[in-house]
Amino acid sequence: MSEQHENFNEYKAPEPHFGYPSGPQLNTQIKRRKRGGQIWYVLLMGSLIISILALIALLYTIVNDAFGLTAVEYQNDPVRLVLEKQEDILLADDDTFNSEDDSVLAAKVAEDPNAIGFFGYAYYQENRDALKLLSVAGVEPNAETVENGRYPLARPLYLYSDADILQENQAANVFLNYYLTNVNNEIDDVGYFALSPGAMAASQQTWIAANEMELKPGQWAAINPDGVGGSLTVASSSTVFPLTERMNERIQESGFVGTLTNESMGTTAGYRAFCVEDTADIAAGSRPMNQNEFAACRGLGKRPLPFQVGTDALAVVVNPANNFLSDVTSEQLSQIFTTAKTWADVNPDWLNEPIHKYVPGTESGTLDFFVESSFPQEMGALATPYLVEILAENVSAGLGRRLESEQRFFDDSLVFFTEAQWQEACNGTTPYAGCTLDARSKDNILLLIEENVTQPNVVAAWKLMDSLFGRAEIEQEVLLKYPAAEVQWYSWINWDFITQPQSSVPELAGVRTAILGSLLVIAITAFISFPIGVGAAIYLEEYATDNRLNRILQTNISNLAGVPSIIYGMLGLAVFVRAMEGLTSGAMFGAVAAGSSGNGRTVLAAGLTLTLLVLPIIIISAQEALRSVPSSMRQGGLALGATKWQTIWAHVLPNAMPGILTGAILSISRALGETAPLVVIGASTFITTDPTSPFSKFTTLPVQIYQWTSRPQAEFQNLAAAAIVVLLILLLILNATAVYLRNRFARRTA
Amino acid sequence: MLRIFVPGWTAERLARHSTQSVERELEVQEVKDPNLGIGRNNMLTQSSAPPMVTVTHQDSSLAKKHRIGETIIQLFLFACGAISILTTIGIVVVLLSTALQFFALPEVSLIEFFTGTHWQPAIGHFGIMPLVLGTVMVSLIAMIVALPIGLLTAIYLSEYASEKARNILKPILEVLAGIPTVVYGYFALQFMTHFLRQFFGEGNVQIFNVASAGIVVGILIIPLVTSLSEDAIHAVPDSLRQGALALGATRWETARQIIVPAALSGIAAAFVVAISRAIGETMVVAIAAGAGPRNFEFGQDALFGFILNPFVAAETMTGHMVRISGGDLSYESVEYYSIFAIGLVLFAMTFALNLVARRIVTKYREVYE
Repeated sequence: MSEQHENFNEYKAPEPHFGYPSGPQLNTQIKRRKRGGQIWYVLLMGSLIISILALIALLYTIVNDAFGLTAVEYQNDPVRLVLEKQEDILLADDDTFNSEDDSVLAAKVAEDPNAIGFFGYAYYQENRDALKLLSVAGVEPNAETVENGRYPLARPLYLYSDADILQENQAANVFLNYYLTNVNNEIDDVGYFALSPGAMAASQQTWIAANEMELKPGQWAAINPDGVGGSLTVASSSTVFPLTERMNERIQESGFVGTLTNESMGTTAGYRAFCVEDTADIAAGSRPMNQNEFAACRGLGKRPLPFQVGTDALAVVVNPANNFLSDVTSEQLSQIFTTAKTWADVNPDWLNEPIHKYVPGTESGTLDFFVESSFPQEMGALATPYLVEILAENVSAGLGRRLESEQRFFDDSLVFFTEAQWQEACNGTTPYAGCTLDARSKDNILLLIEENVTQPNVVAAWKLMDSLFGRAEIEQEVLLKYPAAEVQWYSWINWDFITQPQSSVPELAGVRTAILGSLLVIAITAFISFPIGVGAAIYLEEYATDNRLNRILQTNISNLAGVPSIIYGMLGLAVFVRAMEGLTSGAMFGAVAAGSSGNGRTVLAAGLTLTLLVLPIIIISAQEALRSVPSSMRQGGLALGATKWQTIWAHVLPNAMPGILTGAILSISRALGETAPLVVIGASTFITTDPTSPFSKFTTLPVQIYQWTSRPQAEFQNLAAAAIVVLLILLLILNATAVYLRNRFARRTA
Repeated sequence: MLRIFVPGWTAERLARHSTQSVERELEVQEVKDPNLGIGRNNMLTQSSAPPMVTVTHQDSSLAKKHRIGETIIQLFLFACGAISILTTIGIVVVLLSTALQFFALPEVSLIEFFTGTHWQPAIGHFGIMPLVLGTVMVSLIAMIVALPIGLLTAIYLSEYASEKARNILKPILEVLAGIPTVVYGYFALQFMTHFLRQFFGEGNVQIFNVASAGIVVGILIIPLVTSLSEDAIHAVPDSLRQGALALGATRWETARQIIVPAALSGIAAAFVVAISRAIGETMVVAIAAGAGPRNFEFGQDALFGFILNPFVAAETMTGHMVRISGGDLSYESVEYYSIFAIGLVLFAMTFALNLVARRIVTKYREVYE
């Protein structure tokens, strides 16, 4: 009580509520209000920025998934298949002479005026007086152009090791030292190109540094291998292998008592043995190590040191009597040894005589190198008969017969069937589809090879940002996890993606079926909903009087616009798919081809369902367009004696048309993106045949996106992103049309 | 009585024409208000200057001619409009009849349907609560995101932004509104879920979760809230704004104390429409919210750890309908009937909300002269 009393005594009249405060109070109040306004301004801006950020994040997510690095493993390496096939073609040619002995080749070229041949540079040097050496792409082979890599038919030979290995393994260190000391004496004999003194000194310098020796420039510490023991393993490419063998023989002769295991496994496998499996002391290869191999080595704690020991170069030679050829381009070289029959085939100015080709045998690796470095590596470079050969060599007879029965490979001959079998089947009761169809195109055969022979398989895929900023890690990971895979940039959206049908293999899957399905459904929706929607709008705007029925009509349309799209799906399922199955499946018109029917789950049912969905939107937008036509137009028409419909048709509609079209196109783009109702009425989950009529089974782009998104594998997410890009581009085209119409409309009424 | 005004005609010239020829050239419409002739009032006031002819309505030759073509066209146009009524009737009949078939099944009870907390068609449990719970949670999260952002954006666009800024910002919102919902679903799964998992820890957030779907549904609805609220704000007359500013209110004070209260009915309607849209949203939840109902048991499951946990998967009504009908659904199965029952509940909810929005607008709208 007393407290209350005190308070009462201290009571002061409150400040008056009205009127501005004065003096310093005024300033604080203004400041406070200003600050409040600023804080809210930031909040308002912030809310807008959130929307923009969301849009950016959305587009970023899509782009991030639609492009990026992939690791692709081939069942059969397509490059190897192409090169082997070309090698076979070359060797089987009547005008090709091959010999394992390069000096025989050199002698033959010297005798034959139409000859062209190639072999190790060493053999050219032995027979240089009897042969004419060609420059390739303007570069003549000599020690300098071969070593600096300008001559296209040359490759460096490398040994790789590591300082720690050299210091720990005496045998390896001594062998390498012996190699670097004596290789130039032996290399010509093995058939390769000796290094220049400068390049050899650089390799020796690397060895000196690895052994932490202090030598004056130009000095070399040649170690006498006599009595040195131990063991070492060299993982070697087939090219370096004979050279290493030769050096091994020589070092053994000099008293080396260690054991050397020299394994010929190819360059890539050799580097892998050294950097990943850690099974070799020295790796020998015919190309420098690449970034990922270095990275993998670093993962093992190794720092690979390069020792170049020589160069492999091929000499391309012709007979000295040949006076039209002194330089060939790479393309001409490839033509001469693949497709061309006569010199004139390559260049009309050259002699019209058959080309006689002299090539080394398959054992030496020289032929392989030539084929690898000059022949085209794309499958498409081969002529169709050879592609069919590749297919025939790599698929089972059963599969081959199935493919041929679907469509022949050649119009005039058969590959997997005999003529008698084919005739019997085609004259039988159930002839093959291939009996009537034309032969397969080259593109089709290429696709068959991809599907059945090379079978590329994306074993891993990375997002764009990871690919851009973490390429080294990705390549290292691939080397460790998927040794046979190739890392390559991949755009999930590409021409094949748009033109191929659906497939369960991610990299072969396309959206052609879905695009066609979407377009067909949209066409039906547009054709039905546009006249009905505009008609309803005209009725409501021009004819309807303000009575109860029309008010209900208007309210009902607004309400329908707010009904969730999935409810329309249920309506479509019950009415168009089930109750009206006779109509929507086409049975009513007898239009159903066997196997194409979707039991009412057809393009037509989808189109009708979406029609109901977009009708309210079209009506409302058309009403607005009609309302914006000035009433003077109507009055003018009526005043001139036109009937009501004549006025509407000739005056009101043309003026409202751009607005109506804009609204209709926007509604149609809504239908294009609609997914849920189509899933409910039963869009096909997996379909590879194009929809051909309103009574076909179908899928649409958004449904396809939904199905891919629901798959757990990462590759299908990439496909979904690519399909989203396609969908957004379609929507963009539609909306751009709408904007164009709107702008035209604005200009006309201005 | 109808007055016909023919520009450029003198009274004599008009008189030379027979009434028949006038009828041929002029279609005379009956007008309710005889004072409002075809030329409207302004023409009448000029009556002294140009010649004016007065035709009496009794003249039978000028009476409205019955034209069968016009009637047919009008009937056709009405039929176009009536299709929308048929659609509504169709929806109600289809949903009701199939749902009734569902409730007539021996394993289904109406009480369990509305109160049961397990939706397991395989073992005959049909309690819609888990699905409704999913829907409500997603919608709630969506509203928390969309309502403030949408409203503030609308205030910014209509009260603060310059004409130039509006021309740039509005198309951005239109783009957001035009992106198909399935793309948003992809966005929720591929971006928002990763984001939440990084932010809250992978152990706390499931791959499919309600929060991610809810936030993205919210983003999806922002343009709707913005455009409806902006329309409401636009309807507030400029004089109110100018009056407040003239009395010394700041821009924000004007917006908050004058404009928003004046537009409140429209904004409230926008909010209700947004809720209805969130409840009916399908693809985002079908992709990102989860592939199974969150069945729960009061008392046994932790309320906030599981039942109401936004980071756990929960299927919504729409998501369940899409998933069930996405497979090869047999037309005679319980599942087939059950999705129509769910659809009926969904339709009733959204329809009621749309009616509420309409009612708010018509009943509480401030009318300005």
